[in-house]
Amino acid sequence: MSADSFTVVGKPVVRQDGREKVTGAARFADDLRFPGMLSAVMVRIPAAHALIRSVDYSAINNDPALAAICDASDVPAAKTVGIVRKDQPVFCDKKVVTPGDVIAMLLGESEEELLRLRDQVRIEYELLPVLTDYCNALAPNEPLIHPEFGSNLIVHYPLRKGNVEQGFAESDHLLEQTYTTQRVEHAYIEPECVIAIPREGRKEIQIIGSIQNPFTARRIVADVLGWPLTHVRIQQAELGGSFGGKDDIMCLLSARASIAALKTGRPVKIRYRREESILESYKRHPYTMHYKAGFMQTGKLKAMKIDIIADGGAYASMSPFTTWRTVVQATGPYEIEHVWTDVRAVYSNNPYTGAMRGFGSPQPIFAQESLMDEIAVQLGMTPDEIRRINGFRAGSITASGQELAQHDVNLVTVLDTAVGQTAFAERWQENEQHIKPTWTPSCSLDNKDFIEPDQLLQKGIGLATSFRGCSLGAEGTDAAAAYLSLRPDGSASLLCGLAENGQGLRTTYCIIAAEILGIPVDSIEYLDFDTAYIADSGPTVASRSTLMGGGAVKNAAEIVRTQLEGTLRKRWNLATDRSFVFSSGLVALVDDPAKYISFLDLCALAHSTGVNLSAIGWYRGPRVHWDESVGQGPAYFTYVYGCQVAEVTVNIGTGEVHLDHITAVHDPGTIINLLGAQGQVYGGVTQGAGYALWEEITAPNGKIKELNFDEYLIPTSLDLGTITPLFVSGKETYGPWGAKSLGEPTLELTAAAIANAVRNAVGKRFFNLPLNLEEILLQRKLRPEDPNANQ
Amino acid sequence: MIPQIEFVRPKTLHDALSILAESGDGARVIAGGTDVIPGFQQGDLRLKSARTLVDIHHLPELKNVETRDGGLAIGAGITFTDLAKHPIIAAEYPLLKQAALTVGNVQIRNRATLAGNFVNNAACADSVPPLLVYNAVLRIQSHTSVRETPLSDFLLSPNQVQLNAGELVTNIFLPKLSASHSGEFYKLGRRRGTAISRITLAVLLKVTENRIEDLRIASGAVTPIGMRFIDLEKVALGKTIDKSFLKSLANELGEHVLSKTGIRWSTPYKLPVLQQMFFQLLCRVRGCSGEAIR
Repeated sequence: MSADSFTVVGKPVVRQDGREKVTGAARFADDLRFPGMLSAVMVRIPAAHALIRSVDYSAINNDPALAAICDASDVPAAKTVGIVRKDQPVFCDKKVVTPGDVIAMLLGESEEELLRLRDQVRIEYELLPVLTDYCNALAPNEPLIHPEFGSNLIVHYPLRKGNVEQGFAESDHLLEQTYTTQRVEHAYIEPECVIAIPREGRKEIQIIGSIQNPFTARRIVADVLGWPLTHVRIQQAELGGSFGGKDDIMCLLSARASIAALKTGRPVKIRYRREESILESYKRHPYTMHYKAGFMQTGKLKAMKIDIIADGGAYASMSPFTTWRTVVQATGPYEIEHVWTDVRAVYSNNPYTGAMRGFGSPQPIFAQESLMDEIAVQLGMTPDEIRRINGFRAGSITASGQELAQHDVNLVTVLDTAVGQTAFAERWQENEQHIKPTWTPSCSLDNKDFIEPDQLLQKGIGLATSFRGCSLGAEGTDAAAAYLSLRPDGSASLLCGLAENGQGLRTTYCIIAAEILGIPVDSIEYLDFDTAYIADSGPTVASRSTLMGGGAVKNAAEIVRTQLEGTLRKRWNLATDRSFVFSSGLVALVDDPAKYISFLDLCALAHSTGVNLSAIGWYRGPRVHWDESVGQGPAYFTYVYGCQVAEVTVNIGTGEVHLDHITAVHDPGTIINLLGAQGQVYGGVTQGAGYALWEEITAPNGKIKELNFDEYLIPTSLDLGTITPLFVSGKETYGPWGAKSLGEPTLELTAAAIANAVRNAVGKRFFNLPLNLEEILLQRKLRPEDPNANQ
Repeated sequence: MIPQIEFVRPKTLHDALSILAESGDGARVIAGGTDVIPGFQQGDLRLKSARTLVDIHHLPELKNVETRDGGLAIGAGITFTDLAKHPIIAAEYPLLKQAALTVGNVQIRNRATLAGNFVNNAACADSVPPLLVYNAVLRIQSHTSVRETPLSDFLLSPNQVQLNAGELVTNIFLPKLSASHSGEFYKLGRRRGTAISRITLAVLLKVTENRIEDLRIASGAVTPIGMRFIDLEKVALGKTIDKSFLKSLANELGEHVLSKTGIRWSTPYKLPVLQQMFFQLLCRVRGCSGEAIR
């Protein structure tokens, strides 16, 4: 089926839940109330690393406002949880390793009363040395965060290809740089909320919440309760944003709520305020990245050595998966003969880090794309030239030794499209040749330090490119299910095992089914998600929903369509080689369009003859493989490519960067919902811009300072200029009609493109995100807690 | 969390002042609520002993804008949205309009009021520098008294103002300004929307035959409270206006600010930027007044 022959695929379709969301009619978890429901309040201590000596509830035990207390002694089975490494206590009873840790939970009818009681719980604790400098986490004298693992090392991924020292020896030039990125918060609009309801006889638990991955939550709750999966039922409430952030934390809150609900026999709701959300939820990993590149005078990259350390913070969480994507993609979309990469994730007493949109890619992209621009400048080339010389093409071999085949390797296409669209090379060169005024910010300015008013604003343009492995890759099992059922009146119900995360997958799936069956999108009702009714399809992560879930939906719709075709063949006495077209609510013969039946009549016919019009579709990704000892193998079964161009204006008097225009060119394969795809670009670029310029969670002594949006600054609509999404199409074997990934690619490049544009505007290179006012002007961060701030 | 508290909404200013007189120390005034409501959430000490909230947001007496003695009397409860829309303010006191449009965001400006912006004397109050250069005079009323005080005297020290229990700022008077004054308001925030000020400046300038006849400078956010720089203004009187003088003035402003704040963690950024942007601002004001600057 070619793009022109689609009826709804690729068209702009308004999302099904759009109206409810903007009018406030959508019901989120905190909008739900149940009879007898209790509130919950967490008990913590203001310490990043401490031994708990004693917890004394005697002052509140007999208070009428208290229904129950839950702590570690109430956990029936697994006391600690974790998606990879089970290192995170449901309730802490021996020590805390980050200020977000919870020691106990108070339950009662009035949240306000519980807050009063919380202050009366007496906890004695002994402070332990706090480890915040994660780059030092593996040094011999540093405190061990989880002594039971014998080291602060969470994971180490080596990648070895060729002979890197020989590569450096053969290179004309060497360049070495260190880059750092900051810790950031997902900043979903809706803070965490979950309700646990004990079912009859307390033998089953029903959980409703703002949960990103209901099947993961089911597994964790079952582990904590010591129950079979089937006794834990998770329903997803309307979800107000996640960006990868409602995974571990929601599993943990689901477990706590379940324990409390079973202990009291009453429904229990946990809801977080913004401060508590930012305090306890995980963040994106800060990285420190050392890059050394060897390259020829021609611009050809010869060798690259990369040493990356990622701050996992207090718990392992997703670090083992996040840093694995880093090791696969750390060299960027470039052919390099000799590569030596080490990526390590370590424990510290900083807030723990886990999955966030991008998942281990925005950090190395900032480093490697800054480096590529530096190489270009050093060789007198333009940024697009250096990337054209080295960029992946069909048949290229990646750093992990994978040959890029069986899909259109669109790197140069997206690059050329972006460059052509923005007249990039000419403008970049023009800015580069422009003499930049400089001044020395000091307490007393010289005459020459004052900038001529017409020189205050400087323009810059910069680009970044990336490749990204689609879906989970060698991280884990990759398959998804979808259930489709046709009603006698021609309408349909649909449910996929991948959960809506606010990105609009329900609409995407309905479009896919509507296209196959030739019926209107709104005749398909998307069902509420419930782990009791649909097969485990893995998590909604890794930009895999359209690809994997979409594949399953298409499969389900095709099974049902085949049943309908069989019914019709029998009715019309047709040979099996006669085929049908399903379109506009009609089913006609391909070779005799005059012979048709309405879809509705056909459904009624099938129903009356007892034909099964329900199906479970399945889609499984092809096998991938990874050799952990050397970091070699076909890591992902397919890839997407992107190029973003940022145009900025920098105020060199203040260090303000304004984004005038971002052109985002991506190749997501076949687009299912154009409106949804454009929305992904607008959102991803905005989030990427926040990462570039404003957002940062600092944690002096392990304690987060930016606990609300007065201090944690995300971009507003005034801070962004125009965003232009452009899509390049290409052939792809996998996914529904070759649709693959877009959600994360849109975000991962933006900070790198902006940093390169700022360099073009002011003539200085910046190595440390975010490029906030102080970084631009002083080339360092300025913080109240910094002892050298005044020098 | 907002505690259980008495909430009253008097029908007239007179009633409001009576209630304030009766309630004594336990009364707190609420207008737009953009400061008070978050204050409760953050456990603001000033709200700790609050027992009664007196809502004055709807009082028509506090919304009036009228010309008086050649100047303009603005009701203390005017919202920033209404302030920015007012034609006389836009024409005669444009710096105040500029500042009004940088307060918070549209939703905040729809509720936040002019007096509410400065009665808690936060250094970052955006309306303060323009009001100071316009020599604003406040009318302060209680159940039994009326007095008038210049804003510059009203603002005492961080979070402290000259306001007694039972008193309410009801009106802000801006005296008439000569048409030959030109000026600018400047705000630097970390982002463009919903930004707390890092630096604010307001400048009014009157030049005759290339000599400075009147210069008024006020700052916010860089000093502990919003303030005028009278000494600096005096230095400028009668001086020939050229770039080298403006640069020396910028340097002197830096020295004045440093003497008020001492060295703080933010000084290595804020002080040079203040000087740089003050110079830029003066160049712009001079450009506005029609004569190119040498």
